[in-house]
Amino acid sequence: MEPEKDEEAPKIGVYVCRCGGNISDVVDVERVAKTIAEMEGVAISKVHTFMCSDPGQSMIVEDIKKESLNRVVVASCSPFLHELTFRNAVQRGGLNPYLYDHVNIREQGSWAHKSDPEGATAKAIRLIAAGVEKVKHAEPLERIRLSNHQRALVLGGGAAGMKAALELARRGIPAVIIDKNAELGGHIKEWGKLFPTDEDGQTLAARLRSEVEAEKDIEVIAPAKVTKISGFVGNYDVAFERLGEGGKPGEEAKLTVGAIIVATGFEPYRPAEGEFGYRKTPRVMTMPEFIAWAGSQPNGRLTLDGREVRRVGFLHCVGSRQIEGVHKPQPDGRVNTYCSRVCCSTVLNQAVQVRKRFPSVSVLDFHQDIRSYGRGHEDYYIEASNRGVAFFRYHGDEPPEVATDAEGLVRLRMKDYLTWGEEIEASMDVLVLAVGMTPSPIGDLIDMLKLATGHDRFLQEVHPKLRPVESSVNGVFLAGTAQAPMTLEEALCSAGAAAAKAAALLGSEYVEVDPFVARVDEAKCTGCERCVEECAYSGAIVMVEKETEGGGKVKKAEVNAGLCAGCGACVAVCPTRAIDLRGWSLKEFDSMVDGLVSAAERLAAK
Amino acid sequence: MSKEWEPRIVAFFCNWCTYTAADLAGVSRLKYAPNVRVIRLMCSGRVDPQFILDALARGADGVLIGGCHPGDCHYVEGNYKALRRFRMLQRMLDQMGIERERVRLEWISAAEGEKVQRVINEMTEQVRALGPLNLPGKFEEWDKEMEALAARIAKEEAKRSEAEPAAEKKEA
Ligand SMILES: Cc1cc2nc3c(=O)[nH]c(=O)nc-3n(C[C@H](O)[C@H](O)[C@H](O)COP(=O)(O)OP(=O)(O)OC[C@H]3O[C@@H](n4cnc5c(N)ncnc54)[C@H](O)[C@@H]3O)c2cc1C
Ligand code: FES
Repeated sequence: MEPEKDEEAPKIGVYVCRCGGNISDVVDVERVAKTIAEMEGVAISKVHTFMCSDPGQSMIVEDIKKESLNRVVVASCSPFLHELTFRNAVQRGGLNPYLYDHVNIREQGSWAHKSDPEGATAKAIRLIAAGVEKVKHAEPLERIRLSNHQRALVLGGGAAGMKAALELARRGIPAVIIDKNAELGGHIKEWGKLFPTDEDGQTLAARLRSEVEAEKDIEVIAPAKVTKISGFVGNYDVAFERLGEGGKPGEEAKLTVGAIIVATGFEPYRPAEGEFGYRKTPRVMTMPEFIAWAGSQPNGRLTLDGREVRRVGFLHCVGSRQIEGVHKPQPDGRVNTYCSRVCCSTVLNQAVQVRKRFPSVSVLDFHQDIRSYGRGHEDYYIEASNRGVAFFRYHGDEPPEVATDAEGLVRLRMKDYLTWGEEIEASMDVLVLAVGMTPSPIGDLIDMLKLATGHDRFLQEVHPKLRPVESSVNGVFLAGTAQAPMTLEEALCSAGAAAAKAAALLGSEYVEVDPFVARVDEAKCTGCERCVEECAYSGAIVMVEKETEGGGKVKKAEVNAGLCAGCGACVAVCPTRAIDLRGWSLKEFDSMVDGLVSAAERLAAK
Repeated sequence: MSKEWEPRIVAFFCNWCTYTAADLAGVSRLKYAPNVRVIRLMCSGRVDPQFILDALARGADGVLIGGCHPGDCHYVEGNYKALRRFRMLQRMLDQMGIERERVRLEWISAAEGEKVQRVINEMTEQVRALGPLNLPGKFEEWDKEMEALAARIAKEEAKRSEAEPAAEKKEA
């Protein structure tokens, strides 16, 4: 651990933001600033209407220079919004950007305590006091520089994976696609005419494939299976196996890349046996089964089992929007509460196609809601209505009951809320279950990459709004339906975004990462290895033998900054407090607690 | 204290789930008690019993820890680690005679703004019902007791040496 070189007394600038009234309508910001000004080490304490505005930021820059501030605290909105803004301002003022602390008095202050201005003001004072105490112990940190392999791996060559690879290659960044299937394209190949443009899925997939083949900077390895991934941002070592006939393992090989885009897509939901009559009769089929079957039939008449089909029903939301206590849980005990987003428009699309291709077949639609939300999707609803599709609406907690009748036809019973709860019963030749999406079974990849998943089992982004295509693992990005149910359009958008993020990372010969990683104070480390046991990232902490002054050997923990994710689990178990986290140190936390519970009381007592 | 006592609760919320949920609660304008003051950390797995005991020792009346739901931790299993340590801490609290209700661990995902509101309100009321913990005050009392004890021992020592000076001199 490098010794703190400047024992210089803190001169802290504190800035309290009114946020144009968002904060100051509730929190008495003037009183807050005055109270904080009394704290030891606080040189100036000011209020501004919009700290994030240019004048607000310039004020920080100028004050640092004029007043020779050496620490800065801004109390404003959530750190997710403007922590970086103010770090940059601090840097422009000539200070290290990590000599800064951000205090949230809006989302977790004025907005949450609107009817309690006194409480909100008291809380703001304490939170800022904690920030002031913390920043006193802040150290200048440098972002960590690591070498960078300027090449990306794209896992999965569906539409999203191919799009991501193409976008990378067009920016001059080589990409390797690994897919478990020999033919790239993913699921869109199976759907025939796609909403909302009526383009054929096969044709679209073929077009993407030929673009990929034409691109010299894209290498396709398929069919293949990734067997091991190690390393970190800029330096991922990937081992894979080419698959032979029938998925048999073949030749093994390795490659190194700087970033990974996960585009492993989805699998259609598979209903359990007996779920809405599935597998009890061939007349109940899933949407993919129906599309494949209907697509293979000539226009005009539709027959199944030698019998003319007169009526087709579509049941929405199978395997999606499930309700705890109503639907049977999945094998992992969860119910799929999410909306799969594509099923409604797919039903409408298929309903229209059935009415066009087989005019003698009537179509029934059983839904809880119709979410034809995208541009052009509503046109399918209008056309379906115009073409005589009959709509029925059930309540989510009263799913329809499905049985077969004496003739072998499918009979569906439900309460229809378009007719104020009337019990209806309909019989049909075919019932299509509009199944939703579930994530591809990629448990092995999730383990290898230490990816986070949401409650819905799809891969999870760092922040749904602010960092929507980044995983929590540095250098790993998410594209397409591996992350959540999406239409093709949305999947390609996300693929483009993931490629842009990866390209920005791979554009330079080195990568910079946040300096918030563990560090070891060798003098205190007793070599007990508890940190190594606690660490979830293999290789992030290792024990190394060191010579002692007397010539003996001792074991000390050493941190690999590239692999450390900065979670701090090791810090929590170190019996001698020898391991600590830069930027989130024990001292900083201790002083924050002090700021929260005692410093502010001392202030109040003054 | 002239003003009515208000519970002081320190919270440790993980950056990815619970802290974000607390932001969401604010954005959704859900109202809750201002007694809980949040310290953001990267992962609930960072919280060790000492953090909590420190907070109580410095004058907090309760401590709330918030992390991602099991399986959702951004560092894979930090929250399981937090849970394990929390169980250990509960036993320590029992031994120290501190009510278990003063320290609470909750899984709150980024989407559960309402849960932040509910948990904070519940916890505030619970701690209010328990009353002040006042560990610093207790420490002062203990310190006083220790001082008194030390004084008594010193007095007795002094008495003894008064009674035995002759013997000591003889030896010297
Ligand atoms: C019934 C149905 C109809 C639909 N109709 C439409 C429509 O009309 N219009 C529309 O816009 N959208 C439609 N969609 C949605 C559309 O299918 C998806 O948006 C699209 O397929 C997403 O592409 P993707 O690349 O994300 O995933 P996928 O298409 O699933 O591709 C994933 C790729 O990853 C590969 N892969 C998986 N696991 C691994 C692994 N472990 N290692 C290596 N490779 C792996 C797969 O082999 C595949 O090539 C429909 C969806 C369904 C279910
Ligand atoms: S990141 Fe939330 S508990 Fe680990």
